[in-house]
Amino acid sequence: MRTTHVGSYPKIPDLPAPGRWRTAAEKLQRGEITREEFRRVEDEVTREAIADQVGAGLDMVTDGQIRWEDPQTYFARRMDGFSIDGLQRWFDTNVYYRQPVAQGRVAWREPVTVEDYRFARSHSPRPVRPVVTGPYTLARLSQNRYYPRFSDFVLDVAQALNRELRALDAESPPLIQVDEPAILQHKEDLALFREAAAALLEGVRAPVALYTYFGDARGVVRVFYELPVEVVGLDFVAGVRNWEVLESEGFPQDRRLGFGVVDARNTRLETVDEVLRALDRVSRFVPLDRVDLGPTAGLEFLPRRAAKAKLVRIAEVKRAALEVTR
Amino acid sequence: MNGLPLFPTTTVGSFPKPPYLLEARRKRLRGQIEPEQLRQLEEQATREWIQRQEELGLDVFVDGEMYRGDMVAYFADEMEGFAIAGLVRSYGNRYYPKPVVVGPVGRRRPITVEWFRFAQSLTGKPVKGMLTGPYTIAEWSFNEYYPTRRELVLELARAIHEEAVDLERAGARFIQIDEPAIHTRPDEDFDLAREAMEIVTDGLSAYTITHVCYGDVPRIYPRMLDLPVHQIDLALKNEDFALLEVFRQHRFTKDIGLGVIDAHSHRVETAEEVLDGIRRSLEVFEPRQVYVSPDCGLKTRTIDETVGKLAAMVEGARRAREELGAG
Ligand SMILES: [Zn+2]
Repeated sequence: MRTTHVGSYPKIPDLPAPGRWRTAAEKLQRGEITREEFRRVEDEVTREAIADQVGAGLDMVTDGQIRWEDPQTYFARRMDGFSIDGLQRWFDTNVYYRQPVAQGRVAWREPVTVEDYRFARSHSPRPVRPVVTGPYTLARLSQNRYYPRFSDFVLDVAQALNRELRALDAESPPLIQVDEPAILQHKEDLALFREAAAALLEGVRAPVALYTYFGDARGVVRVFYELPVEVVGLDFVAGVRNWEVLESEGFPQDRRLGFGVVDARNTRLETVDEVLRALDRVSRFVPLDRVDLGPTAGLEFLPRRAAKAKLVRIAEVKRAALEVTR
Repeated sequence: MNGLPLFPTTTVGSFPKPPYLLEARRKRLRGQIEPEQLRQLEEQATREWIQRQEELGLDVFVDGEMYRGDMVAYFADEMEGFAIAGLVRSYGNRYYPKPVVVGPVGRRRPITVEWFRFAQSLTGKPVKGMLTGPYTIAEWSFNEYYPTRRELVLELARAIHEEAVDLERAGARFIQIDEPAIHTRPDEDFDLAREAMEIVTDGLSAYTITHVCYGDVPRIYPRMLDLPVHQIDLALKNEDFALLEVFRQHRFTKDIGLGVIDAHSHRVETAEEVLDGIRRSLEVFEPRQVYVSPDCGLKTRTIDETVGKLAAMVEGARRAREELGAG
């Protein structure tokens, strides 16, 4: 079994510690510090986020997405064809994002995640997984004012993000995580999703993890299984019916399961026993050595103390599970 | 009704806090000033906003929520059963203190009544009683106590109902129950949210309003019209009145709080723009259904932006009245 984080990490510590990132963001807005100075604060906070994950004992970490405004803006801002518009609620969370608007032909301009990945890798003793928002989700959460057909929009975004994945690929990451939560809300678009995913993964050699969350994959999981990805990530809290998915569809022998069972959206800390029982249950479908145990989603929904406690719990569960099987 | 003109103008609830109040709130957090000193400044700021609303010529007032931080944390702070888990990011560098339910929830005492009385004593215009709805309080809190969301939501609904009854007894003719989270799980939870609203407004004689913003309103339409309130207040400007298309297909049977001002942009709209929004809305609403308001609370704007936006709104509504010969 591998323990891993799968996304964002709170950018500020709990009170009364000063929120350096927040103060710096305010200063940047007021023009009191430069972009370069702000970037140094982001560097420091990224190192904190990595240190917390490593300290918790995870096998694999992310950079905490400290530099992400939100999962859409971070990418759209650096691609051709997008402008950034007003606030929208992000799925059923109380988190908002600025909505990208396709105003012209969408295309890749420059690497978005590569520098950040290099930085994280050089400051982490554990393997780092870069995360990329998937083309279907990025297009679905954007407004389209350019393409006559939504499908053309999605496929252009997929082409653009394929360039991003190839740029990451050149860095030989241990895994690239692609987030596609939106497909769970729009299962009618499955054929388009499949086409976009194929375009996205074209020529990518690094192992890829396809992650979904905030719902279940009934009716769509077969397509996930058919894609050339190493890991399929599912949320078993908001998507509790993913258990039915495993019952009815099983799990392919040559894939790993991203087992999102520690709730990223509630402070209530799961007990070790509770998670062990879930692992026991999931082992009927996937042997534990092909399970990536992690939170259901990024942890920025929680105050930092609670986020860290979740990661510590995940590592504790792995230790307990190894003892049980020993 | 209620002696109001056609297209009554109002606001969604919060106004920006003046710098002296922000400073005082910071000092209070650090224990550098006493609660009474903070309270005095909150009253001063409330007086200023009542005065501004008089000058702007709004028809239905709010107290401006100078004494509230976050719309959920404020109620959580004042109720039994909550703690504050910590700061959570909502967007950009905006963070809010997110409550966590740690025990049975309920009211210790009236929460908003004293502030309502204070604000109403300052003006002859009606002041709205302003409550956060049970579904939103539950949805925007962590829950470490109740086994199901349903139990938590219904228990909160009973507490908010008690508060609404107390507001009415204190003279509130308008009571607004904000449910910006109501469409969070449109299929799974809308019935629960409606059931909760039935508990909240049960037996009230006041004119009731619910404010819903952001998210997928079409998903809960037309079921939304089953909510037991007189008016539903919605953000239309933010998406350039796209919602009107939805209401064209199925008639909107309640009064509409028509959001004609973007609450999250710095740009100050013109009266012409507001007038245009009202005109467009009259393709789907009867004039007497329409209350004119901003999309959302204005607390993230500056005072100048707020006054500018509201002046345009009031003027736009006035011209709309004039066009209909009701000026
Ligand atoms: Zn609102």
